[in-house]
Amino acid sequence: MSAAVRSIDDALGGGLPAGRLTELVSAVPSGGGQTVVARLLAATQAARQRMALVDGSDGFAPEAVPACVLRHLVWVRCRAPEQAFAAADILVRDGNYAALVIDLRGCAERILRRTPASAWYRLQRAAEGGSVAVLVQTTSPIVPAVAWRLVLDTPLSLADAAAPREAVADRLIVRTERSREQAVESLAG
Amino acid sequence: MNYAVLCVPDFALRALRRSDPGLCGRAVALVEGDGRRARVTEASAEARGVAPGLAATLAMSRCPGITLRQRDPAAEVEAHRLLLAAAFTLSPRVESTRGGCCTVDLRGADPARTEALMRLTAAELAGAGLPARIGAGATPLLASYAAQCAEPVLVVRDPGGFLAPLPLAFAEPSPAQEEILRGWGIGTLGGLTALPKAEVGRRLGTDGVLLWERAAGEAARVLRLVEPARSFAAEWSYEPPVESIEPLFFKLRRFAERVALELRGAGFVAEKLSLTLLLEDETDHRREFRLPEPGADVEGWLRVLNAHLGTVRTDARVAGVRLVAAPARPPEKQDGLFDTGLRDPASFWENIARIAAIVGDDRVGTPAPVDTHRPDAFVLERPAEAVAPPADAPVHPPCGPTLRRFRPPWPVRVVCDAGSPARLEGGRLEGDVRAALGPWRSAGDWWKPQAWSVETWQVELARGGVYQIACAEGGWCVEGMLD
Repeated sequence: MSAAVRSIDDALGGGLPAGRLTELVSAVPSGGGQTVVARLLAATQAARQRMALVDGSDGFAPEAVPACVLRHLVWVRCRAPEQAFAAADILVRDGNYAALVIDLRGCAERILRRTPASAWYRLQRAAEGGSVAVLVQTTSPIVPAVAWRLVLDTPLSLADAAAPREAVADRLIVRTERSREQAVESLAG
Repeated sequence: MNYAVLCVPDFALRALRRSDPGLCGRAVALVEGDGRRARVTEASAEARGVAPGLAATLAMSRCPGITLRQRDPAAEVEAHRLLLAAAFTLSPRVESTRGGCCTVDLRGADPARTEALMRLTAAELAGAGLPARIGAGATPLLASYAAQCAEPVLVVRDPGGFLAPLPLAFAEPSPAQEEILRGWGIGTLGGLTALPKAEVGRRLGTDGVLLWERAAGEAARVLRLVEPARSFAAEWSYEPPVESIEPLFFKLRRFAERVALELRGAGFVAEKLSLTLLLEDETDHRREFRLPEPGADVEGWLRVLNAHLGTVRTDARVAGVRLVAAPARPPEKQDGLFDTGLRDPASFWENIARIAAIVGDDRVGTPAPVDTHRPDAFVLERPAEAVAPPADAPVHPPCGPTLRRFRPPWPVRVVCDAGSPARLEGGRLEGDVRAALGPWRSAGDWWKPQAWSVETWQVELARGGVYQIACAEGGWCVEGMLD
C-alpha cells in the first residue's frame, strides 16, 4: 500500500507492507505525521480501498482534508490508550481494510510505556498473514520488535504553508531507525 | 449480555470418548492412581452406581463391563482447541479459562444475533462430540454461573432473579464461612445478598465482602486473552499403529470439525487441504487436494479425503495422521462494475458495533463536513457499504501541513506586537513567535443565541513547531498543530 509520501515509500521499498506493523515516530513538533495520514487517505481512496484511523487522543481534523477523501474512512475517536488498543485489536482482524493507522501521539507517554509488550505482540500476530498495512504513529519509539521504524525528525515551517499538500509531503525526510533487514542481520550476527 | 462462558461438564471424560470411537455408548470411568488406590474421578451416564471418589475395584463390582481409563492429555488438548475455536466464532476476545472452559468478551455484539449464534455453536459442539453449556451475563462470573445451569444455553437478563435461588456453594465460601452462614439460616445466594454488604463486611471481614460480591455476581476481572489459531493443522499419533482405514476416517472427521471452526473464527475458508499419513517405517504418504470451491464445509472436505483414502495402499502400518488446511479469504461478494463493496459485510458491521461499545456510539464512523465555516464542525455518519470512485480534484486543493487538533484547545496568553502574535505564554505552550500568518476572521450564526466569531493565526515558534491559534470570546487558545 503506497503511502503517497515519496520518502516513506522509498524507505519501505514501495509502500507500507501488508500484514506488518510499521512505526512512524514524529520526533519533533510539526514533523509531518499528520500530512502522512492525509496522503494515505488520498492514496487509499484512489485505490478504492478502505482505511481505519484509531485516534488515540482524538486529534484528527476532518476539515483539514478534502471531503472527497473521507468517505472511505472509519474514524475511531478514543478517550484513552486502552480504548485505542482494544479498537485496534478488533480492526486488525477485520478483512475489510487496506490500511489501519493507530495514532498514539498525544497519549500520555507514561501510560504507553506501561503497555505490556504482549499487547504489541498480540497486535503483530493478528496483523501477520492478513492484508492490512498497520501504521503506528508515536512521538518516541515504543513498539517492541517492530519490523520497520521510521523517524520524522525534520520539522516543517510556516514557509510550507502555501505549498500544495503533495509538495509538502515530498519534502518530508524520514530516517530508517530499524528495518527487517537490520533485525535479521542483528539476529544472525 | 457482556460475557459468555463455554464449559464442558466432565471434560476429561468427554475428550477421551470423543477421541476413541470404541468408547461410544459404553460405560466408562476415568480413574486416578494405580492399583488399589485407584479412584474414579469422572464416570459416564452409562456407568450406573459409579460416582467420583469410588474405588476402582468397587466400581468394577457395581458396574460389570465398565471400562476404566486414565486421562488422555492429547485428547484433552484437541478437545480444548475445538472449544476455543467455537468461542472465536462468537468474538475475537477469548480467554482460555481452564481445560474445558473459556470466557468470551461479547461487549458490543448484537444480543439477538449472538444468542442465536450461541445456540448454533452449542449444537455444533454437540455434533462434534463435545456437548458444551453456554451461559451469558453482565460479568464473567455471572456468565460462569449461568453456564453451570444452562441446558445448553442460558442468557441471564435478570441477575437478581437468577441468582436468588442458587445454592450458596456457587459462590465458593470457605468451610468456616459456610458454617457461620448456615448458623444464620442462609443457604442461597439471594439470602446472602439480602443482607447489607457493609454489615456482612463488618462481621466476616474482607473475605466476607468478597463472598458477598461473588454471591451478587459482581466480581469483575480482566480477561487474559488468547490468540486465535494462525495455523490450521491437526496431528495425531496412533499407539499402536493402525492397519485399517476406519480409525483414520474417525480421526479425520474430528480434525475437520475443529479446523473448520478455527478457520471460521479467523474469517477464513480453506482453499487447499494437505493430508499426510506417517508410516511405521518412518516414511510418509502425502497428498494435497485443491478444493473445487474454497470453503469450510466439513462434509465436503471428508468426501474428498475419504475418496482418496479408499484407494491408498501403504507398505507399513499408519503411526500418525496430519491434516493441514491452507487458509484463504472467503469470496463473500462480487464487486459491481463501479462499486468496491465490503469483503466481509457481517464482520464489518459487527466490528463497528463492538468498537462503538468501547468508545461510544457517537465516536466511531465516517466524518462528513457540515454546512458551516465554524471551526471543528463535522458529523460522524454510518460508514458507506461501497468505496466510491475517486472524485474530481477539489477546486481549492489543500495546501501546507495538515492540522492536528488539540481537543479541548489549550488556553494560552498571546503577547502581540503591531497587531501580530509575538510570543505565547502560560499554559502548555510557550515561546517566541518566529513567523506568523493571519488573521483569518470568520463568524456565523449571528441570528442565533449561539453566535460565534473567531480570529485565527498560524504561528511558527522560534524553538520549532507550527501551531494554529485562535482568539474567540473566551480568549486565546491553541487549536492544534500544523503537522
